[in-house]
Amino acid sequence: MGYLTTHLRVVGALLVREMATRFGSKPGGYVWALLDPAAHILLMTVIFQAIARAPALGTSFALFFATGYIAFQFYQAVTGYLNAAVKANKALLSYPNVAPIDTIVARFLLQMGTTSLVALIVLGTIVATVRVDTNIHWPSILEAVGLACIFGLGVAMVNCVLFLRYPLYEQVFTIVNRPLFLISGVFFLPDSIPAPYRDLVLINPLVHIIMGFRKGFYPEYRAIGLDMDYLYGIAFLTLFAGMLVFTLSRKTLRNE
Amino acid sequence: MIRFEQATKYARTKGIKKPIIEDASLTLNRGKSVGLLGRNGAGKSTLLRLIAGAIKLDKGRIIRRGKISWPLGFAGSFQPSMTGEQNVRFVARIYGVDTEQLIGYVEDFAELGPFFQAPVGTYSSGMKARLAFGLSMGVNFDYYLVDEITAVGDSNFKKKCQAVFETRLQDSDVVMVSHSTGTIREYCDCGVVLEKGKMTYYGNVEDAIRAHDKNMKES
Repeated sequence: MGYLTTHLRVVGALLVREMATRFGSKPGGYVWALLDPAAHILLMTVIFQAIARAPALGTSFALFFATGYIAFQFYQAVTGYLNAAVKANKALLSYPNVAPIDTIVARFLLQMGTTSLVALIVLGTIVATVRVDTNIHWPSILEAVGLACIFGLGVAMVNCVLFLRYPLYEQVFTIVNRPLFLISGVFFLPDSIPAPYRDLVLINPLVHIIMGFRKGFYPEYRAIGLDMDYLYGIAFLTLFAGMLVFTLSRKTLRNE
Repeated sequence: MIRFEQATKYARTKGIKKPIIEDASLTLNRGKSVGLLGRNGAGKSTLLRLIAGAIKLDKGRIIRRGKISWPLGFAGSFQPSMTGEQNVRFVARIYGVDTEQLIGYVEDFAELGPFFQAPVGTYSSGMKARLAFGLSMGVNFDYYLVDEITAVGDSNFKKKCQAVFETRLQDSDVVMVSHSTGTIREYCDCGVVLEKGKMTYYGNVEDAIRAHDKNMKES
C-alpha cells in the first residue's frame, strides 16, 4: 500500500514537472500543446484538399485525412515523447523513490490526454463545420485508440532501454520510423491495393489501427483486410516485450 | 539503524568488474554519525547510493529503519531544465511534505535571490550546493547522506551549514563522505573505512582516520 501511494505521488509530481518544462516556458502554456498539432493537422488537411479532391472514402477530404492522421498520431506522439522519458529525467532518478517506470507512466498519461484533446478539437471542428453525415461509432474509435496507445507504449519501453544500450539502434529506428507515416494508410486505403502488395502493407499494425479508427467514422467502410485479432496480438505482445525488457534492464535505466 | 547483510556490489564498466563491497556485514546504529573514508574510486559515493536505495545490491540486503535522505552531493539530483523552485516543489511532492513551507525554507536558506526562479542548469556549483543543502535540511530525515557537499561554498555558507546541521543532528544522524578528515572529525562520532571491497567499522572516528591514513601511505 505504501509503495502504491509513493508511486502515485511521484507520478503526480512528474506530471507537473513535465507540464512545467514542456509548456510552462512560453506564454499560453498548455494551450500550445493543443493548438500546435491541431493547427498542423488543419493546415495539412487544407493543403491536401486542394491537391486531391476526391477522398478514397466519403465526400470530405478533411475528414478522411484527419481520421488517418490522428489515429497515426496516437502511436507516433506516444512513442516520440516516451522514447526519451527515462533519459530526460535522469537526474531525478537519483531520488530513491523515483523509479524509471514512473517517468514512463507520467509521460504516457500526459501524451494520451493531450492527443485525445487534440483529436476532439480537430475532429469535432471538422464534423461540425463540414456538414457531412457522420454516424460516429464510439466503440470502434476507442478500441483503435486504446490499441494504438498500448502498441506505442510497448515500442517506447523497448526503445528507452535499447537507445541507452545501443546508440546505433536509435539511428536505425529513426530512419525506419520516418517513412511509417507514408505507408500506414493515412493517405490511401489498403483495400484498394492489388493483392501481393496488400499483404505486405497489412503487416504493419498501424494500418489496422487506422482502418479500425476510420470504421468509427464511416459506417459504410468495409475495411477489407482489417484483422483485429492480429492487432490485439501484436499490441499486447509488444507491451509484454516492453515490460520484460524494461524490468530486466532496471540497472541500465538507473544508470549504474 | 542501517544494517548490511552479506552485501555484495560490483562496479562494472566496459568489461572490468571491480568489487565495491564483497560479502560485507555491518550494522550502523541510530544516534551515531558515521564518516565514510576511502581512497579515490573506492566506491564511497556508490555506497551512499546503495544506502539510499537508489541502486540495488548484486547480492545480500540492506535493512533500513528510519527515513533516509537521497545522497546529497553537488553532482546533483537536480533537473537542469527546471528552476530551483520547481526542483524544490518536485521534492516536496515526492516526499509528501508541505510544498509552500519547504519553498519558503529553501528560498531563505539558499539565498539565491532571483536565481531561485532560473533554471538550475545556469547555477554555479556553489549555488547548486546551497540549494541541495537547504532542500535536504528542509525535509526531516533520520539519516542524511552527505557526499562532499560541505566542501563547496564560501566560509559564510559553511558557517550556516554548520549551524543548521548542529540543530538537525540532535535527532538525526549523518553518513558523510569527505576527503577532508577535518570535516569528518567535526561531524562524525564513528567511522567506516572502505578499502578493497571491505568495510571496516571503527567505534571512534580517530581510529578510522588513522586506519585510513595508514592505507594511504601503504599504496
